[in-house]
Amino acid sequence: MSGTPMFWRIVRRLLTANYSRLFVILLALGAGAAVTSALLNLQIDAKKRLTTEFRSLGANVIVAQRETGSENANGSTLDEALMAQLPSVHEAKPVPAVGFLYVIGEVAKEGAPHFEPAVIAGTQGHGLTEIRPGRRTEYFASLERDPAACEVGAKAAAQFKVHAGDSLLLRNQGREEACKIFAVVATGGAEDAQIFASLKTTQALADLPGRLSLIQISVTGTPASVNGFISALSNSLPGADVHGIKQLTEAEGRIYDRISGLLSATVLLVLLLTSLCVMAGMSNVAVERKNDVGLMKAIGGSVRRVVHLFLTEAILLGFAGGLIGSAVGLGVSIWLGRAVFGVAARPRLIVYPVSVALTMITSIASAFPLRRLASIRPASVFRGEE
Amino acid sequence: MFLRLVADSFTRRPRRKLLSMAALAMGMAVATAALSVSLDVGDRLAQEFRSLGANLLITPQADSLPLEIGGVDYRPANAGAYLPEADLGKLKTIFWRFNIIAFAPILDVPVQADVAKNDAKIPMPQVQLIGTWVNHEVKIPDGTTYVTGIETTNPWWQLKGGRWFTETASGRVPEVLVGEKLARSSGIAVGSELHLLEKASSSSIQPVTVVGILTTGGPEDESLIAPLSLAQAFAKQPGMYRRLYVSALTKPEDSFARKDPKFMTPAEFDKWYCTPYISAIALQISEELKGTDVRVIRRVADGEGNVLTRVRMLLWLVTFAALLAAGLAVGASAAASVIERRTEIGLMKALGANAALVGVLLAAEQLLLAIVGGGLGYAIGVFLARVLGERIFGFAPEPKLFVLLVILGLAAVITLLGSAFPLRKASRYDPAPILRGE
Repeated sequence: MSGTPMFWRIVRRLLTANYSRLFVILLALGAGAAVTSALLNLQIDAKKRLTTEFRSLGANVIVAQRETGSENANGSTLDEALMAQLPSVHEAKPVPAVGFLYVIGEVAKEGAPHFEPAVIAGTQGHGLTEIRPGRRTEYFASLERDPAACEVGAKAAAQFKVHAGDSLLLRNQGREEACKIFAVVATGGAEDAQIFASLKTTQALADLPGRLSLIQISVTGTPASVNGFISALSNSLPGADVHGIKQLTEAEGRIYDRISGLLSATVLLVLLLTSLCVMAGMSNVAVERKNDVGLMKAIGGSVRRVVHLFLTEAILLGFAGGLIGSAVGLGVSIWLGRAVFGVAARPRLIVYPVSVALTMITSIASAFPLRRLASIRPASVFRGEE
Repeated sequence: MFLRLVADSFTRRPRRKLLSMAALAMGMAVATAALSVSLDVGDRLAQEFRSLGANLLITPQADSLPLEIGGVDYRPANAGAYLPEADLGKLKTIFWRFNIIAFAPILDVPVQADVAKNDAKIPMPQVQLIGTWVNHEVKIPDGTTYVTGIETTNPWWQLKGGRWFTETASGRVPEVLVGEKLARSSGIAVGSELHLLEKASSSSIQPVTVVGILTTGGPEDESLIAPLSLAQAFAKQPGMYRRLYVSALTKPEDSFARKDPKFMTPAEFDKWYCTPYISAIALQISEELKGTDVRVIRRVADGEGNVLTRVRMLLWLVTFAALLAAGLAVGASAAASVIERRTEIGLMKALGANAALVGVLLAAEQLLLAIVGGGLGYAIGVFLARVLGERIFGFAPEPKLFVLLVILGLAAVITLLGSAFPLRKASRYDPAPILRGE
């Protein structure tokens, strides 16, 4: 019965009879849909990005020799070959890992006669910001590729009165190496007093070829996923001790939970209240349909048919408002993602149908007061009585 | 007469007005809740970030290079410089004293520890004795005292059994904590008695009682943790410490904070100095504690800054989105209520009211609605913000008068804007066709 051409004609007339009203309704529904889809999309994206942001805290997992003796700094070491066994990707994110070999040796500025003890840390590769975050106060990019170049902590640089471009002599038990400083780095931690030389140089100094003191890894992911990574890695490396840096993993977990809870709760609240708000506004619009209903009933329309008409109208409006609003919202969230995280948020397709559906539900729910219209007596409407 | 007309429109159509008000109240509740949480969340999160530990490290300026690997300083006790413990109260006298939430000095010294069991002695390898504060009362120069210690600066230091040590009076047996791994490898439990010696060969034995097992996930797990005074006695450095960790609440660094204070104009410098940037707090500390080197622990400070800035921005966006959606929906409802009153407007004009009077009358109605609906929405929003704050941070944001003013202003602007366009149209209606019902 509701499929007749007449039915659709009435629906069309209902929609197009008053353009300013149509515009108002679509605006309210569209705004709700836009906010819904933008927030949903941004929220999914933000949680993923947060875990990436946490990596500016530096390495969070350490691989060391099992049962290390703390009394001897040059003591138990790992085989360098372990590095090859580390996974390079975790949940589609690269896992930077750097091996370190620590030696307490003696260091002097080239030409200075006086040697002083210092910690020499051998590392592979340069650009270790994701492992040990800090700020380079002096930097010679041209020297960086030199295999014999080294980086010096701010405190050590002040102690030896050296700057980027100078050379240092490193000495340990009679073995001696030289290195040219390409950067001075300030981290605020123990690294400030260390000298970062190439792994080869340090292994030669310590006479420990192919050995490492420890491996530092920076794993991106939620607290649960980082813990999963740690237990999987310690199963695959039975000889080594794999542990998270408790200071970071615990705090990260806590902060992540808080922030993601906050985001979810705020977004949920905003969605809920936005739809209530749209609903209240829409109901206001719907109630004024009293005259139309009165007329339809007067010329013999059944209550069911009248309600069908208005429901169809609400569904169509919800669909149109949802389609337009959600598309706008997704576009906005891409832009917002760039504003907040510097990277455009990836639009997630699931968000689109969800927010269109939510808008339609809101629209149908706001047509609900129309049920009351069933009790309208046409005569009193036409007489202008309330 | 004017007031009567306004009052009439409310009493004659209570249901209609109620719906408009509900829309408005809902919208304003969203805005209030989001605004309250956004205003409050920065401080709450900054507090939360202190679980990452200290963000400032203070060491003697004229020091030899620390030989620190994995948190253990391998320098002999007689090498390097020390700082006086007595000065530490001054930390709570700097400009941003209330932002310093905890600090703990550290002095570590290698000792020989023997487990005393039934008169027999089980010798152990040399271990590191970490002297620090736990629930320590610091005397502040203004006459008050302040309680702080390592358990607040390093919240990941957790007890696996027993309790924290207390600082016992001299003459009584001092209390110590044992790192988890050390306890396991040498069979030490809570209640064990240890004999500490400076070196294996020295004769003066210091008996101590183990009152707790500590787990930190770091090198402390293989050390002894004792009151600072005990470590000072072993290092023969009474009243001195080597490293100081300070945990301070800070404002994330922006581009202004990264400017070198040396090149700032006096006005800029004052602004920088009076903002709790980590670098400003570091400068203030070094002004109070002479001969120190105050360094920002970059990994903590920068990580915190990055995350905080982004979350704050994100929440402002959510707030803005909520305001926008609320505004549009309320505006739509206001517009609808004007459209449906064409007949009334027509009648008024037929009776001689001019366009301005009709506009003012309807605007007054909308304003009344805005104030009542906005006030109601504010109340709901405050309640929601309270629930949200308590669920997430265990702390409800204080309702702010400022938010109420913003919300009322916003409600007024939104309803007026929403009705402005249809009102303008309405004031131009020709009464005759409307009254004829066309």
